[in-house]
Amino acid sequence: MAINFGYFVKESVVSFRRNWVMSLGAIITIYLSLLLVGVSLGSGMLLGQVIESFEDKVSVRLFLKDGAPAEQVDAMQAELLANEMVDTVVYTTKEQALEDFKKRLMQDSPEVIEQLASNPLPASLDIDLKDPRNVSTVVDQIKASENFIAVADRPDDPSKSLEYGQEVVEKLFTVTAIIRLVSIVFVAMLAVISLIFINNAIRIAIYARRKEIAIMRLVGASNWFIRTPFLLEGVLESLVGALLAIGTLSILYLYVLPKLSELMAFLPLTMSSGDAIQVSLVLMFAGIFMGAGGAMFAMRRYLRV
Amino acid sequence: MISMRNVSKIYVPNKPPALDECTVEIAQGEFVFLVGHSGSGKSTFIRLLLRELLPTKGQIVVAGQDLTKMKNWKVPFLRRNIGCVFQDFKLLPNKTTYENIAFALEVIGRSKHVIRTQVPEVLRLVGLEEKMESYPDELSGGEQQRVSIARAFVNRPPLLLADEPTGNLDPATSLGIMSLLNRINKTGTTVLVATHDREMVDSMRKRVIALEGGKVIRDQDRGVYGYGD
Repeated sequence: MAINFGYFVKESVVSFRRNWVMSLGAIITIYLSLLLVGVSLGSGMLLGQVIESFEDKVSVRLFLKDGAPAEQVDAMQAELLANEMVDTVVYTTKEQALEDFKKRLMQDSPEVIEQLASNPLPASLDIDLKDPRNVSTVVDQIKASENFIAVADRPDDPSKSLEYGQEVVEKLFTVTAIIRLVSIVFVAMLAVISLIFINNAIRIAIYARRKEIAIMRLVGASNWFIRTPFLLEGVLESLVGALLAIGTLSILYLYVLPKLSELMAFLPLTMSSGDAIQVSLVLMFAGIFMGAGGAMFAMRRYLRV
Repeated sequence: MISMRNVSKIYVPNKPPALDECTVEIAQGEFVFLVGHSGSGKSTFIRLLLRELLPTKGQIVVAGQDLTKMKNWKVPFLRRNIGCVFQDFKLLPNKTTYENIAFALEVIGRSKHVIRTQVPEVLRLVGLEEKMESYPDELSGGEQQRVSIARAFVNRPPLLLADEPTGNLDPATSLGIMSLLNRINKTGTTVLVATHDREMVDSMRKRVIALEGGKVIRDQDRGVYGYGD
C-alpha cells in the first residue's frame, strides 16, 4: 500500500486546508486540553517532590519535664535507639531550645526573651525516623513506654509531650488529592470538548467531500480506503495540538521553572529531563488517541459505508 | 449475469411495495431496457443490483454472487464489477475529464501505469480524447454523459447499469449516447438501461422489461416501450 500512503496524506492535507477554520478550532481545543493535562501532570510531579521533602522532615519531638532524672532520660534515649525504626536521637537542652527559639523567631527583638524571668522551654529528645511512614507506630510505642511517662513534660497527659509532623503531611496529602481531583475533572471536560471539536471538524470534512465519497462508493473503493483520510486528518489535527502543547510546556520547563525554583528556594521545585520527556510522550499519545477517537466517532455517525 | 427470484422491496410497512414479487433473468451479454413510469420501481431495481438496498424478500444473484447473503465488506468488490451511469452524471466539478476517470481507478488502488494507459483508451472509445483537459462545466450535457460512461466502463466491468442516462439530453444527443452504450454492449458487457425515453426504446428494438406498480408486467425480446400510454 506504499502507493496509497501519499494519496492519503495528500487528501488529509487538502481537506485540512479546505476547512481550516474548523480544523484550527479542533487544534486549539486539543492544544488547550493537552496543555492542561501537561501542567497538571508536571505540577503533580513537583508536588510529589514537595511532599517527599516534607516527609523527610517528619521527626518526633519528645518534651522532657524540667529536672527529669538524667538516668531516666538516658534510659529513654537508649530505648529509642534500640528501636530499629529510629534513625537518630538528639538531646536538646533547655538552654539550647531557647537559643534555637531566639534564632528562629525572635531575631529582630531579642529583648522580648530578655524579659523572661526563667526559661519556659522544655528540654527535648529529637527523634528522626528511617521511614516517615512509621511515625504513628513509633509514637504509639513511645506512649506505651514506662520511661516516657517518667520523663514526659506533662505527666498528667503524656501524649501532649509528643510533637510530630503527621498532621502536616496528612493535610498536604488531602490538598494534593483535591488538586488532582479538580484537574482530572477539568481534563475530562476538556477531553470531551476536544472530542466534540474533532468530531465536528471531521463531519464538515466528510460533508465537503460527500460527492467524492458517493463516487468512491459507486466505483467500489473499499471502506478503509474511504475512511483512512478522515482518520488521518483527525490524528494530524490532534498531533499538531499535542506538539504545540509540548512546545509551550518546554518553554515553561526551560525558562519559567528555574525562575520559580529560584524564587521559592525553600521548596524543591525541579524536574528531571526524563520526567519531562515522559510527560511529552503521554501528551503525544493522548493526542493521537483523542484525534483517532473523535474521527472514528464522526465516521460512525456520518459516514456509513 | 442477473437473476432475481420473487424479489420484493417494502420501504414503509403497510404501504404498497416498491417492488412486488419480481422475477427476472438477464444473461451475460444482453442489452435490456427497463421501462416504466416514475415510481414504477426502476430505481429500486437498480439500487438492489448495486446492493445499496437489500430486498425485503427474495433472492438476487449478480455476477454469480448472492447479494442477500453477501458480507458488507465485500460490497465494494461487487461494485468494481458493475459500471454505473446516472441521469445527473455525478462528475466532480473540480477535476478534469481525465482526472474524473482516473479517480475511479485511483480509489480502487490501480497503479499509475494502469491509469495512464487505460484512461486515454476509454476516452478514445467514447470519442472525447480531445477534451481530456476540460472541466465538466466546459462540456455539453452529452459530453458529460460520455465522460460518466467512460468512468463507468474504464475498469471493464462485465455489467453496466444506466439509470435514465438520457433524461437530461435532447433526442439527437440521446441517440449518440445510446449508440455508445450499444457499442459497449458489443464488447460483451451486459447493459441494463432504465428509461422512459419512448422513442429510444422503440427505435433500438432490444429486450424490454416493463415495470408497473412494482410488478413486471411485460418482458419481451425486441420489444417496444408500450402500447397504451
